[in-house]
Amino acid sequence: MKYQLRHTTRYDYSSPVSLSHNEARLLLRDLPWQHCSNTRLIIKPAPLRQHERKDFFGNRVVYFAIADIHESLEVTVLSKVTTQARPQPDVNSMAWEQAVQSLAPGTVQFDAADNEENLAARLYTLNSPFIRRSEALRDFAQAHFTPGRSLVEAVLAMNCSIFEEFTYDQEFSTLATPLDEVLENRKGVCQDFAHLAIGALRSIGLAARYVSGYLETLPPPGQEKLLGADASHAWLSVYLPGWGWFDIDPTNGNQPNERYLTLAWGRDYADVTPLKGVMNGGGAHELEVAVDVLPI
Amino acid sequence: MRNPSVISPLMQKLLADYQAERGSDFDDYDDLVNREGQVRARWQPLVEELDELGLEGLQQRSIEAQNLLYENGVTFNVYEDDVRKMRSWQLDPIPYVISPQSWAMLEGGMRQRARLLEILVEDLYGERRVIRDGVLPPELVYSHPGWLFPAADSGNLYERPRVILQGMDVMRNHQGEWRVLGDWTQAPSGVGYSLENRIVLSRALSRLYRDAPLSRLAGFLQAYHRCLAELAPAQRENPNIVLLTPGPGSSGYFEHAWLANYMNFSLVEGGDLVVRDGHVAMRTLGGLKRVDVIVRQITDPWCDPLELRGDSLLGVPGLVQAARRGEVAIANTLGVGVLEHPALAAFLPGLCQYLLNEPLLLSGRDVLWCGQPDYCQSVLSDLNHWQLREVHDVNQVLVPAQMDVPEREALRRSIEAGPHLYVAEQPLQPASTPSFDLKTGKVSPQPVNLRFFALADPSERADEGGAPKHRIMPGGLAWVAQPGTAIMDSQMVKDIWVLSPVAQPHVSLLQRAKGPILVTRDGMDLPSRVAESLFWIGRYGERLDNRSRLMREALTSLVEEGQSELEETLLPDLFSALKLTLPEEEASQTESVVRSDASVSVHQFMQLRNVLLGQFSEEESDALPWLFSSLLRNCRAVRDHLGDDAWRTINTLRQTFNSLPSIQGANAGQRSLEDIVTLLAAFFGLSNETMPHHFGWRFMDIGRITERCIASLELLQLAMITAQKPGTDLWETVLASTDNLTVYRRRYRSQLYPAAILDLLLFDETNPRSVGYMLKRLETQIQHLPHPDTSPFRSQEARLIIQATSHLHLVDLDTLLDLESSAESQAALGDLLDQLLTPLNALSDAVSHSHFTHAETPKQLVSLQGVF
Repeated sequence: MKYQLRHTTRYDYSSPVSLSHNEARLLLRDLPWQHCSNTRLIIKPAPLRQHERKDFFGNRVVYFAIADIHESLEVTVLSKVTTQARPQPDVNSMAWEQAVQSLAPGTVQFDAADNEENLAARLYTLNSPFIRRSEALRDFAQAHFTPGRSLVEAVLAMNCSIFEEFTYDQEFSTLATPLDEVLENRKGVCQDFAHLAIGALRSIGLAARYVSGYLETLPPPGQEKLLGADASHAWLSVYLPGWGWFDIDPTNGNQPNERYLTLAWGRDYADVTPLKGVMNGGGAHELEVAVDVLPI
Repeated sequence: MRNPSVISPLMQKLLADYQAERGSDFDDYDDLVNREGQVRARWQPLVEELDELGLEGLQQRSIEAQNLLYENGVTFNVYEDDVRKMRSWQLDPIPYVISPQSWAMLEGGMRQRARLLEILVEDLYGERRVIRDGVLPPELVYSHPGWLFPAADSGNLYERPRVILQGMDVMRNHQGEWRVLGDWTQAPSGVGYSLENRIVLSRALSRLYRDAPLSRLAGFLQAYHRCLAELAPAQRENPNIVLLTPGPGSSGYFEHAWLANYMNFSLVEGGDLVVRDGHVAMRTLGGLKRVDVIVRQITDPWCDPLELRGDSLLGVPGLVQAARRGEVAIANTLGVGVLEHPALAAFLPGLCQYLLNEPLLLSGRDVLWCGQPDYCQSVLSDLNHWQLREVHDVNQVLVPAQMDVPEREALRRSIEAGPHLYVAEQPLQPASTPSFDLKTGKVSPQPVNLRFFALADPSERADEGGAPKHRIMPGGLAWVAQPGTAIMDSQMVKDIWVLSPVAQPHVSLLQRAKGPILVTRDGMDLPSRVAESLFWIGRYGERLDNRSRLMREALTSLVEEGQSELEETLLPDLFSALKLTLPEEEASQTESVVRSDASVSVHQFMQLRNVLLGQFSEEESDALPWLFSSLLRNCRAVRDHLGDDAWRTINTLRQTFNSLPSIQGANAGQRSLEDIVTLLAAFFGLSNETMPHHFGWRFMDIGRITERCIASLELLQLAMITAQKPGTDLWETVLASTDNLTVYRRRYRSQLYPAAILDLLLFDETNPRSVGYMLKRLETQIQHLPHPDTSPFRSQEARLIIQATSHLHLVDLDTLLDLESSAESQAALGDLLDQLLTPLNALSDAVSHSHFTHAETPKQLVSLQGVF
């Protein structure tokens, strides 16, 4: 598929900002099944300094500092994105306990090359800023991870169950809704469901990471698609030893396909915050976000 | 060397007592005596010297050293800005002695360790071979709070050693073997303390130190300075090096100020720095000044609220990016905290083989990392047998054997849930070393911890691997405590003597400014925050002085006439000058009928006395202790700008204030108040004498004079207009409390007349206590302040002074002459005093607005509340 992506974030401040330092993780990654071209990042007012680098996780990060007095900040990303079908794992390749085994410290199960990947994946079995492993999360996972079950099958089953048993509720969630509240109330947004699934997988010893990106939404049948109606999205990736990272989307109960654009990944939301900043002044602020994923 | 038998009987007894105290553990290693009970060779010269000095001599010198240490203000406080909680150590006159042979071995071992850690951290934040090749488990690294993901980004321009100055804690165990207990790689403390100890002891025990064949420390800090200067981006000449401290509330603040002073760095806090146009700048009176090198004393996660902990108020937004771009050098580099991981000890032998291809020379502590399943099993199966530490809080030793069952089970569950977060250890058995106890006059065997320092020299590369060459300070800080105890928890510190095989010339690093330390960075470079603190030192100091004088007058009046009818005395007026309320008149007129007159007046006296003495312990603002702690807080914030002698008087004041709350009698109170007045005068006098008369001094003076001027005017208002009992007695008190009584007597040789008093206190510009003089002085000082913008207009503060001065000059004196009988005169004076007070009260804000920093605390665009 081919898309024209447009993502605008606008902050309006109640009082002037004299100096701000910011970090944007808004540029899409290039992947075997995803290619970006004509990418532009437009920042208003124009920054005094702007530098791009890759972070620990390989995401593209743009640092920028604005030293002019300003009362609003607008960051827009434009990009042409081509996506292709992703590789699919063999459903019956390995029991989930075997995967846990190969990620456990002090064990060597695969040949050297695989082992290096396993070692790298072990980072994603650990606690992270927003996700703590817990007994409640382990119990939640174990409903699907029954003894001897295939890893991929169990992962897909849990993915479906979150979609079926949890309610998407924008009112309920804040940036930092604790996972046990999400679990207890069975409500949340995409970010919470991704965190929940990651926490559950980590709690039984598997490796999972947080993925941020976009999803092309389809208008109701017979209606025109509205501009700015799309939204940022979040899902997760599970590590399948010997195969690689496998994406699932618990918010929609499916597997990300060509309609998903991958922006960045990390241990959890804290590693991929799209736009963060520290500023002098500013007072209160209002935020406006508009995302368009238009097929071309 | 003399035969030990020549040693005096007294020393023989001391040694015998020492042996007796060691008890039955004769097999355990002792530093002083060997298994046969003989003094070890390296101690011989010292023992002989001490013998000559005698026990009394040693005691005397020890007290002297203690006093020097105290007067120099060597203190630390454990993150509490409370005067009474600041502690200082005892300094043991007996050093810790290391033989040349042991030192050669230790030095080699520490060099290797420093090189190993340097190469390790470079790999961890670069290629990560040690993780990919399975030498170091990923959980160990990534779960440590010192690991910083932002420091592992690509595109770093670091080409320099990451750990410039590093501390290593070392001990000798009961078998006489050396063990490294841990490393301090972020902001190692103790260099300043060890130099200060050496300075103090070599002054108190000058003969001993002059003749001893010990390695000198002089070169080390010079080398440190050179290494830091070489880090400057683009090798700028005369780079601007700053020392970034968390502030006066932090435990190591004394040392931060000491180092900044000694090395001639600006002492800055996070709010003094700003990242602008990519580089780091310091906010000074003259505007922004570029910073080249930051010696940071803030731990990793707190240094930058943009990329690291968002809730940090200590750091500088954008700092990580500035460092990443090579626009500023940070020593030590951010991210090196991961080297402080307690479990690293278990992996260092393997890492040394892998990275350096050589065996580890100095053993570390025997630890088990619970992240390894086998070890975790053996720890959990016999939990009581171990001590544990959690990687997020390594100073906290968990002892399961001393826990109750629920506690222990909670710990077990917590280990099972995150085994990689725990290390298990056996308690250490230390060797003993002699320590002199001043109180008992005894020398007893004690356990001791040693901290050494390694310096990476960026200009010198060792041959192998291109790692920098390390230099080890031939000395360090020793503290008496069980192994692994934090320095701050110890009571007694020691100097470390590294004996050199050949006699060393006495290089005089110790010729540290004995006189007043002149401040060299006091011009436009003065940080605005420092100017502000100096201004408030002036204000609080003067307010304290004024209040102490009034309190003294009140106590005098109480002693003289406290039992008379209250209306007959000056006490109501003095109470209102002090803004204190008089004790309620005994609710019961009826009761007094029953009481005799005498008991009523005694009762009244007691009540008044209690209110006044209560001011010695009140915490509320404007009570004496509050004023003093405000003064002290500001003094500490500019510790490096006050001369040593001025600082000594502050320390003496602190002692006086510590004893204030226990004062019972009015007379004792008067005496203490007089001490306070004298010490404050000494403090400001010394500051006047020793501070360069530049901006810093001007701000302090403006603060002081403004405060004094306001106090004088308010006192005049009371004495001439609002007093309940106006008249000679009150006027005399006013003169006394402003220290003008003698001047008045000498000049007028007569009774007190209001007009003469007004002349002396308001108009006489030759009298330093007159408002006229003070306005003139303020005008001069304000004229000399820097003008941030080149505006042709007068500053707000200059206009306020002109306003006050012209009111004073334009007043019609004739209208004021008949104060005692004419209401019109009183009204005219009242108007004048108001016209003077209004601009003066506005002056403080105006000065603050024009010159001090008003940077709002930076805030987050999105606040993330995860657990970092």
